[in-house]
Amino acid sequence: MLSSRGTLDRHVDLLLGILAFPARAVSLSLDEWDLVVRAARGARLLGVVRARLERAHLLDSVPTPVRAHLDGAWNLAAHRRQMVLHEMHAVAKVLAPLNVPLILLKGAAYIAQGLGCAEGRLPEDLDLMVPRERLDEAERALVLAGWAFEKTDPYDEHYYRVWSHELPPMRAPGHAIELDVHHMILPPTGRVRPDTRAMVAATVAVSGSRYRVLSPADQVLHACAHLFQDSDCTGRLRDLVDIDSLLREHGTADGFWTTLLARTSLHGLGRSLSYAVRYGSAWLGTPVPSDVAPEIARFGPGPIGRGAMDRLVGLALFPTAPDQEPTPSTAFGRWLLFARSMWLRMPPWLLAYHSLAKLVRGALLRRRAVAED
Amino acid sequence: MRIGELSDEALGTRLRAEGLALDFGAAHGRVFTDVPGLGESLRRVYAHFPVERGDGFFDVTARVRRARGARRFFRPQVELVVDGRVPFEPFPAANDLPLLEWGMNWSLAERCNTHLLLHAGVVERSGVGVLLPALPGSGKSTLTAALAVSGHRLLSDEFGVVRLDDAACLPMLRPIALKNESIGVIARLRPDATLGPVYRGTRKGDVAHLGPDAESVAKRDVAAIARFIVFPRYEKDAATELEPIARARAFAKLAVNSFNYEVLGPAAFDAVGRLIARCECYRLSYGNLVEAIATVDDLLSRPSGGGA
Repeated sequence: MLSSRGTLDRHVDLLLGILAFPARAVSLSLDEWDLVVRAARGARLLGVVRARLERAHLLDSVPTPVRAHLDGAWNLAAHRRQMVLHEMHAVAKVLAPLNVPLILLKGAAYIAQGLGCAEGRLPEDLDLMVPRERLDEAERALVLAGWAFEKTDPYDEHYYRVWSHELPPMRAPGHAIELDVHHMILPPTGRVRPDTRAMVAATVAVSGSRYRVLSPADQVLHACAHLFQDSDCTGRLRDLVDIDSLLREHGTADGFWTTLLARTSLHGLGRSLSYAVRYGSAWLGTPVPSDVAPEIARFGPGPIGRGAMDRLVGLALFPTAPDQEPTPSTAFGRWLLFARSMWLRMPPWLLAYHSLAKLVRGALLRRRAVAED
Repeated sequence: MRIGELSDEALGTRLRAEGLALDFGAAHGRVFTDVPGLGESLRRVYAHFPVERGDGFFDVTARVRRARGARRFFRPQVELVVDGRVPFEPFPAANDLPLLEWGMNWSLAERCNTHLLLHAGVVERSGVGVLLPALPGSGKSTLTAALAVSGHRLLSDEFGVVRLDDAACLPMLRPIALKNESIGVIARLRPDATLGPVYRGTRKGDVAHLGPDAESVAKRDVAAIARFIVFPRYEKDAATELEPIARARAFAKLAVNSFNYEVLGPAAFDAVGRLIARCECYRLSYGNLVEAIATVDDLLSRPSGGGA
């Protein structure tokens, strides 16, 4: 049974409440604010909380000491956003002469598009997608211009090159932001293979920039796939909040939902979308038209699978209670979701090989660390 | 009532259940712990801080606890939990207070992003503030502590908190972490100073904390306007030398020596500009602490307002 908000931990309930209904801020006590701010910081959502309060014209109702933290998080997000813009500028300078389609993904795209979703959001890196056949060329140009791969060992390098949907993370000397160059949105070894060609073909130019972004429907589907197909969900509430924001923004456009359903079937991402809508509606009040909701629900698993996911996602997604440790059941739930994410990412033989490689390497590294201690 | 006057029982209840509230001025902290002995150390270095309620809103809530795992039987460790996370590797159990103090500073540096946080000591006397920015190892903490025990009001040692709109310095009253020889130096300078226990063999050598005095604590909500910026440089046996430096140079030195100058961008640029504009800037080389104190005192007694 999906936890309704009333049965969630108090810090989670308060945080979700204020995200979904910013008007709740008016009645929060200082004790409750303490929990909200700590939980939001843990989930990297503090700046987003401020953005939602500002949009509802409620910032003035926030007590002064709390406001300082919201504003501080806002300043930090603005700084990171500036760094991302700087990185976008630098990368465009190098790659524009190649005439390769440069497709921004996730946070950088939200910034370039000027989406409300980017407000207060802390971007971590710059995610860029180029078509597979132009990847080597783009990589060479970046390396020649000074970008270098962050420290990876030969096994990681091999893993990225052969089994991943992106190059190992790169960084130019002195740059604050890491660059992830993708050629697909999900690992090529995974169980779900979205139609990358169709995705590239449907991209939209960002006005006044060399960059392109995914079409609104594909952007939502990528966010869903990223959370439910390519991650173990642990501590990833912020990804669900991204999807919630995207659906609130894109969802008002004519024909969006019809296109979304069509693209979902095309990319085979129905399962991920169904989870995002299920948990988004329950916990964040994500608006979905009533005629579309059952269509999306049909992509979901049967009652047993659904029950298991409800339980596991509820354990993993939320930030840890500020004053507590994760309980054993939470830890086990997270482990199950981790196992699930690996299962979705690669076929069993590769999973076995990869796990063994990691195990052996981990043991060797530990032995070395002990020897050096 | 002050924290130094709390009974063992009242202190224990606070640390285990309600939280021990600590009012630093520009920020409020709260500590939980069940590590035996840590309460006693806290009572010493925070002796002059008022006892306040542990409920409400806090800028940082930190918990120190015994680390788990097999190690606890032969080499016990303590770890710091901030908002459900353990941001650092554990410390040896004996170094509980250094871990807590370091961790709270780290948390404050990371999250106080509405003020400019310079890496600087700040003291004040008769309404005149002195900012002492410096890189680690330059003797900043020693000089700040020496001034604090010689009649100056302490505002901060680690964080020079500068309010963005008027460039006033706000107190961030934290215990001063003295290292190695500095501990004895300050103890000799002021035998009744509020010094905490000496922790041997931390990552930075021996460490002891100088607790803020009663007067500084009483004025924890009173901002100060800095009129002097003094970049101290300790060198063994060096002659005391006070040398004016150009404001433009001082600007650059201040800006790179900040926790969040880059994060705040243009607002930080303006604040440093405003701060520098009303300050005389000096470099102070010293080998003798008593002479250094006299030099700063001398500076403060002069009519200010001229440029450097």
